[in-house]
Amino acid sequence: MLRYLLNRLVGLVAVMFLVATIVFVILRLTPGDPAAVMLGPQASQQDIDTLRARLGLDQPLPMQYAAWMGQLARGNLGQSIFLDQPVLAALADRAEPTFWLTLMSLAIASAIALPVGILSAVRRGTALDQSVVTFSMFTSSVPSFWLGLLLMQIFSVKLGWLPVAGYGGPDAGIATRLSHLVLPAIVLGLVNSALITRFIRASMLDVLRDDYVRTARAKGLPERKVILKHAARNALIPILTVLGLTTALLVSGAVVTETVFGLPGVGSLVVSAVLRRDYPVIQGALLVIAAIYVLINLFIDLLYLLVDPRVRY
Amino acid sequence: MNFCTFRRRGGLRGLLAAGAIGLAALSAPALGATPAKGGTIVVATIGEPPTLDPMASTADLVGILTQHIFETLYTFDAKWNTTPLLAESMPQISGDGLTYTIALRQGIKFHDGSDMDSADVVASLKRWTETASRGKQAAKLISAIETPDAHTVRIVLKQPYAPLTALLAMNNSAAVVMPQEKLATPLKAFIGTGPYQLKARVPDQYIQLTRFDGYQPRAGEPDGYGGARKQYLDEIRFAPVSNANTRVESAAAGQYDYVDALPVESIAKLKNGRSDPLLLKPFGWPRLVLNTKQGIMSSLPARRAVQLALNEEDMLYAAFGNKDFYSLNADLYPQGFPWATQLGGKVYNQGDASGAKKLLDEAQVQDRSIRILTSQQYEFHYKMALVAAEYLKAAGFKVDMQVVDWATLTQRRQDPALWDIFITHSPFLPEPALIDFPSKDSPGWWDTPRRNQVLDAFNQAASPEERIKRWADVQQAVFDEVPFIKVGDFNSLAAKSPTLQGVQPSPWPYFWNAWKAAK
Repeated sequence: MLRYLLNRLVGLVAVMFLVATIVFVILRLTPGDPAAVMLGPQASQQDIDTLRARLGLDQPLPMQYAAWMGQLARGNLGQSIFLDQPVLAALADRAEPTFWLTLMSLAIASAIALPVGILSAVRRGTALDQSVVTFSMFTSSVPSFWLGLLLMQIFSVKLGWLPVAGYGGPDAGIATRLSHLVLPAIVLGLVNSALITRFIRASMLDVLRDDYVRTARAKGLPERKVILKHAARNALIPILTVLGLTTALLVSGAVVTETVFGLPGVGSLVVSAVLRRDYPVIQGALLVIAAIYVLINLFIDLLYLLVDPRVRY
Repeated sequence: MNFCTFRRRGGLRGLLAAGAIGLAALSAPALGATPAKGGTIVVATIGEPPTLDPMASTADLVGILTQHIFETLYTFDAKWNTTPLLAESMPQISGDGLTYTIALRQGIKFHDGSDMDSADVVASLKRWTETASRGKQAAKLISAIETPDAHTVRIVLKQPYAPLTALLAMNNSAAVVMPQEKLATPLKAFIGTGPYQLKARVPDQYIQLTRFDGYQPRAGEPDGYGGARKQYLDEIRFAPVSNANTRVESAAAGQYDYVDALPVESIAKLKNGRSDPLLLKPFGWPRLVLNTKQGIMSSLPARRAVQLALNEEDMLYAAFGNKDFYSLNADLYPQGFPWATQLGGKVYNQGDASGAKKLLDEAQVQDRSIRILTSQQYEFHYKMALVAAEYLKAAGFKVDMQVVDWATLTQRRQDPALWDIFITHSPFLPEPALIDFPSKDSPGWWDTPRRNQVLDAFNQAASPEERIKRWADVQQAVFDEVPFIKVGDFNSLAAKSPTLQGVQPSPWPYFWNAWKAAK
């Protein structure tokens, strides 16, 4: 087990190194100049060159890369060109809305997918099953920005129940902040519930065909116990996998949804940073996101140990 | 400039009716409303400003925000004349036009409690000439900035330069006054003399300004950006909402007190929503900048061919969709401005493909490839480019449309090898010297003896009457040498809460003199 953990941590470092290098190279190859963006449309080439020199962007690329790697080795993700704050601080500022949005979206997605997926599998071939399959196809096909704008129209503009955008001002309490997350969480929850529902349905269908389920029924166990205690538990591994991937996706930033709702989360930070060519933020944010992906996957793999006694590392 | 406020469901008839009282409304509080002290407003802007240092950027968003925190020696009144702000009065200019003596207002406090004196002003102006692009423009002509005493500043020029006070009045790339001990690059402390001070900034969430109790307003009544600046509001918060659709929906929902920069086509939606649309007419002018340094546009006949081939009316219609939101106008300023002329009609909106082809044939232009650089960052740029491309194709050009994101465009346009035409726009600026004319140092690279002669003559002209005459020469040079082609005039749209009073439509909206009425 210890060896397994060590191997995974070594893998994490390798992934981070690869991500850091690939992102650095891609960014520097992409056209666009952060200095020109910052200084505005009437800046002269001389002004732009002066700012580039101040930001170290005029250095040869190998030197910039070495500086970046040196900073990383010291745990420093660098300073945002645009925001004039450390990248870690910028990410920390945006962690809260992303955290709550992830939690709420996952709760909504799970609350829909778990019962619906299980029911659909148990009632396979019925009208309920067909409806679930159709609904899943619809919610996975509908663009999230369209759904977001639709919900915004109904609940914010027409009814005035919820805010359109933002995350509240300096004096906003937790309730106000969470109210800004309701619509985006519904959007993300619905869209992500489709995939989770299909996984649960497929996994349950596999398990329900197994001999031990037939045995459990033959023994006279109540159907609810057969489904929930025996079948569902054994269907959990693929479900955990998809839940883990969904969590990682949400944490890394629901870019489109955050942009539509004006949420200052990690996703919109990455988008803004790309548009502004804020290199340190892009590099740092993608590195952190890669690390989160790897750690979530590790966590899910460790959860397998709890769920399935056959799994050993 | 006309001031047009819709009431909800007033529609376009409301626009026409409100326009009649436009200019008169610019300086007076709303009829029947008594300003009330107190309250907080939230203003939705197009995004996060790149900096809060008003000298460091020419971005309008920076100016909109920082004009509440910092002040300049001069500013603009409702008629776009320069008027004193931190200066006591207009400068005393020596007979030869070389020396500007500026008396400063006394008793002015900075937000940190210290007193403003001439040493602060001179140090700030020196930083401005070193840091700000407008300051660098002025620096070429300034030989000294001096402090004869604690309440006087003297600027000595190398040659007469009439736009100096306008440059000192502009609110972006601005000659703001800061405490000399706080000056640094990059700026770390944002201490000004303005009616509001910076309390907090959480990037991408809000910028919070609170009333500065030590503020010394000018006596008298408000007059555009000048005159008295009253501080009715306790707080002004700026919230970035970068997605245009989201800004429209938030305006319709009434979430913010003021929403800036809305697509004009959303006006129909707004008139049925919870905010009042505000149309600024006219707001600005888009233009096609031509690369006179390299490539096909370095040929004057080719530029004239482009000028002849274009149909500006179709371009504006594609961009704005409704004649209420644009006007055809070749002249660089619309009627109502002292700089308006009527020189450009002969070579405007012709859409003459065969005439353009003839020009190209006569000049023996063999390679007719032309690259148009544009971005969907501004949707109307892109739409105008699409229409322009079709007219140019009809005239025999081989058009390569390069649609890139804004960061790429700002980089590429600095390289004359990479483009032939790019599209930009700006508000109508109160002083033509503030327009970023292409020059030998800036994209477009218009650098001819005639250009330099007419601009020098304009900048050195002493009297307003003479400046207006010289401006006509500048404009004629633009029409003849075609460094850029103006497409037309367009209007801008914002929205405000019905309870927010005292806000004047402006290219750079400001919220001193604004107050919140009871619901």
